[in-house]
Amino acid sequence: MMKKIVKYTLALIVVVFIAYNSVYFRKLSDVKAAAAKTFNPESFAKTYLTKKLLPASAHAPDADVLIGQLKTNPVKAFKTDAHSLDIGNTRFFMVKGQGTITNIDESDVYIITPGKQNLKIATEYIFGNALRDAPGIIGVNDFTNSMDLNNVSAEINKLVRNEVLPPFKSKVKKGDSVAFAGAFELNQEHINLNNIEIIPVTLIIK
Amino acid sequence: MRSIKIFLLLGLLSFAGCKSRTDNHQKKMAIVVSTLNNPWFVFLAQTAAAQAKTLGYESKIFDSQNNTAVEADNFDNAISSGYSAILFNPTDANGSVANVLKAKKAGIPVFCMDREVNSPDAATSQILSDSYSGCVDLGKYFVKSTHAKGNYVEILGIVADNNTWARSKGFHSVVDYYPGLKMVAQQSADFDRNKGMEVMESILQAHPDITAGFCGNDAMAMGAYQALAAAGKAHNVKVLGFDGAGDAIQGIKEGKILATAMQFPKVMAQTAANYADAYFRGKRDFPKKIQVGVEMVTADNIDDYIAYGKKDKQ
Repeated sequence: MMKKIVKYTLALIVVVFIAYNSVYFRKLSDVKAAAAKTFNPESFAKTYLTKKLLPASAHAPDADVLIGQLKTNPVKAFKTDAHSLDIGNTRFFMVKGQGTITNIDESDVYIITPGKQNLKIATEYIFGNALRDAPGIIGVNDFTNSMDLNNVSAEINKLVRNEVLPPFKSKVKKGDSVAFAGAFELNQEHINLNNIEIIPVTLIIK
Repeated sequence: MRSIKIFLLLGLLSFAGCKSRTDNHQKKMAIVVSTLNNPWFVFLAQTAAAQAKTLGYESKIFDSQNNTAVEADNFDNAISSGYSAILFNPTDANGSVANVLKAKKAGIPVFCMDREVNSPDAATSQILSDSYSGCVDLGKYFVKSTHAKGNYVEILGIVADNNTWARSKGFHSVVDYYPGLKMVAQQSADFDRNKGMEVMESILQAHPDITAGFCGNDAMAMGAYQALAAAGKAHNVKVLGFDGAGDAIQGIKEGKILATAMQFPKVMAQTAANYADAYFRGKRDFPKKIQVGVEMVTADNIDDYIAYGKKDKQ
């Protein structure tokens, strides 16, 4: 009888031990939070801006040189200086330069460069993939989820909107001399150099 | 004797060459599309079939009728009928993964067209429209056209499809910065023209004061326009679509539709068929994902476009 009790007790302990170690309970909120932690577009964008985009903008071609090249040999300019993550006609260029403010409206500031090129720099519609794609550093297959890739663009643009633009917009006025760096898009099948709008990553009033 | 040996050897070699060519051209491509009830997907499927034929392969189009169960049957048929590759337009980003994995297990490569499956490794390659970026452009144009003021509605596509949310999020990534634009209703019409009309009819009952409608595809945009026209509000409400379908391009010309985003189904279908051909020839290092650019079409540039693409340069 005693032997049987020991036997059943041991069997019960084994069953309870196996059952206890087979099932885990975790809070759904913890699981969701862990999943959300897998990619943080905000911190990715911050690192990208400081460690990749700003250094890339320092090596960007000068606006007068680039636009001159786009006028005289667009095929070469697109081949050497443009990037895009997509198959298609839209391509992005990094650019830097300086100029004098000729006009300011609710969407842009307008400048004229030393080479007499008229350009506009966006101050309102900071959207799209220009700053993400123009340096040619990020690839589609670096991300497992397309939405992560899209969120990177949104976060970079947010940083520009919140950190680059406010100090500039509060002080800029007609006639100011500015230094800028940024990116713009062009359709390589329908090249329109009269409507280039630069999304800025650096804007300094001299 | 020696010359006979050489002759026989050459004969054998030439047969060996023929065999390898015949092997490739005995292969068939299955084209499984989410629905043939929408002209855009008919164009996608037919272009893929035409490209397969150009490359020398037989193909067959399977209609999944927007139903993952029918899609599963189509995959079973394709696998058991000896198709060697599947050019695939999924019905459901999550629900279609099992079908792709089934084909993968059977050693059949799957090339996704236009729509994504939520698995980084299931498909051999995914060739997708950059829907999000297209809708960022539409969002900017929407804000400028409405002067960032007014009540608007959004008609969504199939809620289980990633494109539905990529488009919606791209649009909202711009529009939500403008508090003067208020979304008063957001409903799904499953990318279907008739449902688009019904949804807009019902929204108009509750919100007769809307000034704009953003629709996740052109079929729903045309349906929404029909409802607006029937209610006598077509001139007061700006309608935006997505796809570049023929009736939307015509609608922009006639002032019925404000804008659409042109996808390039021809590029996606031809790339998928070319990839399958390359797979048969031994290539294995395909990019897991390729994005095809989308271009905004408005009254300003309508002359550059035709249904499903750009006009050829003269």
